[in-house]
Amino acid sequence: MRVVIAEDLALLRDGLSRLLRDNGFAVVAAVANGPDLVDSVIRGKPEVAIVDIRLPPTFSDEGLRAAIEIRKQAPDTAILVFSQYVEQTYATELLADGRGGVGYLLKDRVFDVAEFIEAVRRVGEGGTALDPQVVAQLFAHRRQGSRLDQLTARELQVLGLMAEGRSNAGIAESLVLTIGAIEKHIASIFTKLDLAVSESDHRRVLAVLAYLQRDDAPS
Amino acid sequence: MQTYRTLLFLVTGIPLGALWLGMLLAGWTLTVAFAITPLVIVILLGFSAATALAGLAERAIARDLLGAPGGRPGRTAKTTGYWQRGAVVLKAAVFWKTQVYLLARFLLGLPMAAIELALFAQGLFIATAPIHYRWLSQDGGERGLDFGIWLVDTLPEALLVAPVGLVLVIVAANLANPFAALWRGLSYALLGGTMTDVDTAGPSAADLRRALAIHATVYGVLNGFLVLIWALTTPGGYFWPIWTLLPLGLILAAHAWVTLLLVRPSVWPARLGRPLGIHAGISTLIVIFLTAIWAVTTPGEYFWPIWPALGLGIVVVLHLIIVLMTPDRSAMENRIEELTSTRAGAVDAQDAELRRIERDLHDGAQARLVALGMSLGMAEQRLDADPDAARQLLVEAKLGAREALEELRDLARGIHPPVLADRGLGAAVAALAARSPIEVSVSVVGERPPAAVESAAYFVTAEALANATKHANAQHVEIRILRRTDRLSVEVRDDGPGGADPSGAGLTGLRRRVEALDGRLIVNSPSGGPTVIQAELPCVS
Repeated sequence: MRVVIAEDLALLRDGLSRLLRDNGFAVVAAVANGPDLVDSVIRGKPEVAIVDIRLPPTFSDEGLRAAIEIRKQAPDTAILVFSQYVEQTYATELLADGRGGVGYLLKDRVFDVAEFIEAVRRVGEGGTALDPQVVAQLFAHRRQGSRLDQLTARELQVLGLMAEGRSNAGIAESLVLTIGAIEKHIASIFTKLDLAVSESDHRRVLAVLAYLQRDDAPS
Repeated sequence: MQTYRTLLFLVTGIPLGALWLGMLLAGWTLTVAFAITPLVIVILLGFSAATALAGLAERAIARDLLGAPGGRPGRTAKTTGYWQRGAVVLKAAVFWKTQVYLLARFLLGLPMAAIELALFAQGLFIATAPIHYRWLSQDGGERGLDFGIWLVDTLPEALLVAPVGLVLVIVAANLANPFAALWRGLSYALLGGTMTDVDTAGPSAADLRRALAIHATVYGVLNGFLVLIWALTTPGGYFWPIWTLLPLGLILAAHAWVTLLLVRPSVWPARLGRPLGIHAGISTLIVIFLTAIWAVTTPGEYFWPIWPALGLGIVVVLHLIIVLMTPDRSAMENRIEELTSTRAGAVDAQDAELRRIERDLHDGAQARLVALGMSLGMAEQRLDADPDAARQLLVEAKLGAREALEELRDLARGIHPPVLADRGLGAAVAALAARSPIEVSVSVVGERPPAAVESAAYFVTAEALANATKHANAQHVEIRILRRTDRLSVEVRDDGPGGADPSGAGLTGLRRRVEALDGRLIVNSPSGGPTVIQAELPCVS
């Protein structure tokens, strides 16, 4: 899988390149600012662009704006935003166009190399990877009396992992359950929350996120 | 406790005040007597040293008994010329200021001590009248408590007057606070305090209001008492209490007007200045007073108050003309004073913030990185001999690195949240609300203010929200931020039980931050709630 990295700190840029090469990725470009990123994506046609939010020259949300620009100019390139901080606002902006191939992870996630690599692949293949902190923020904001109260503790866990963008197999692996058990949980969640079952993993993520973001009236 | 200390302060003023007066008289007499001889320099230097010593002693007393601000007294400049030394002493502000304080200790302190002691003694005496009235003997051979016109010589009468004594004691105790505030202000202004203490010096609005309330109570009790005596002794006869009602009423009305001007400056146009306000108000009151006297004594006859009214009116008009013609100096001076104090506050707040960040870095991330390095070192050591232990250490190191990152991220967010710079107040406050464990409704309306205003508004909101979560036990918090053309209004309202301390560390830091931007922070947290924290921040674009 071909990747482009945009990260202004050389230490992290080189480390990330090495980590990805070691795991079988082809790093076609590693750049240090927003405009270079858009250029290298258009020229190098990678499958995934890994982008830091804070980049020169503005050192604000340069990377995020470059990412949204790439979504327009090179719609086939998946974007994995990789940042020191997560904000729900940014997640919402990234997911706004409703297409897959989006990820938003804290830099800490690279500590678990296997999971990080898995997330990059998932995003590259059109899936979603949302940081558990984004999902936790969505959950933390639930009011008492929301329909989520009807879910069992296990179902809440499954819902969280679904929101992160994991596949049934991924959820099964991380909870040490069989895929069949996971499917049963998911069916139950969708019934309780009154959600339509979707075809693709990404559609499912969007439905779950939309549900979590909706201000749920007490039932 | 502070009441006793204040009382002690006033009582020490009796001997000390007398001592200082003697010293000042002796010092100036000697100075004048030897003015044309070279000896005058020696005398002045000695006088200056004695004054400085007395000032030090008084500062220590004011600090210990009144909690007056500390700081260093001013110093006189050094010089070598013989005659110049005398000039330096006489030009030194600290020399004169200390002397004014020492003189005030006598001239102001003595009457204050007398008032307090008399009120306490009389109050206790009258309050205990039911016990001892029967043993008191008056000049005429009668037994009882003599009020001049009324002899208290039965138990019911003694019980009737006892509450008056209690009121006197309460009045005396409550007078202690405004007295202490006045002396704190004097010691701050004359003996030197640091600028950052400025907000603790001087009487507060609450002190002023309380002083007025005490005054009004005394007025009411005293006159009520006199009217009662009148009603008991000569009912329907000549209403003589009018002669205390009116003059004391004039004084009370003047006090009320001055208090109103101080507590609510908006009742009088700032451009005209407070002295003119006091002058005009008191002139008006005097005219009303004279008219009342005319109405009581010779109603319907020649209206003589017209002449003093005319005279006072002319003086007020002259004063007004002078004020309108002189450039507004005091406003500028006030502004300079305000800027000096808010700048000092901002510097203090910034310093405290930097120290907090240093401490957090030192105790948090730095310590974690050291531990992380140790884990890695040990893992390296055991890599060959004991791979399992090495793996365990690596897992620990990973965990440590994650925690260090976590802490650094929180710290960075506390300094300046990235989302605030990138997306503005709306998104940043929404993120705050999302992280808060309680229910928060957010409304942010209007265009983005300048960056400094934006971040002050953000931290006001964050601190208020944190307080509501941590201390107030609130269920719901409402945040409203509205950008008007010239300012930004922030309001955070919670439904907690109230009672937030506006002088707590967090709110003081916020106030300094807001005041440094020329804004105002209002904390309203009555016991029982709700707590409302408002900030008004001017936006100069």
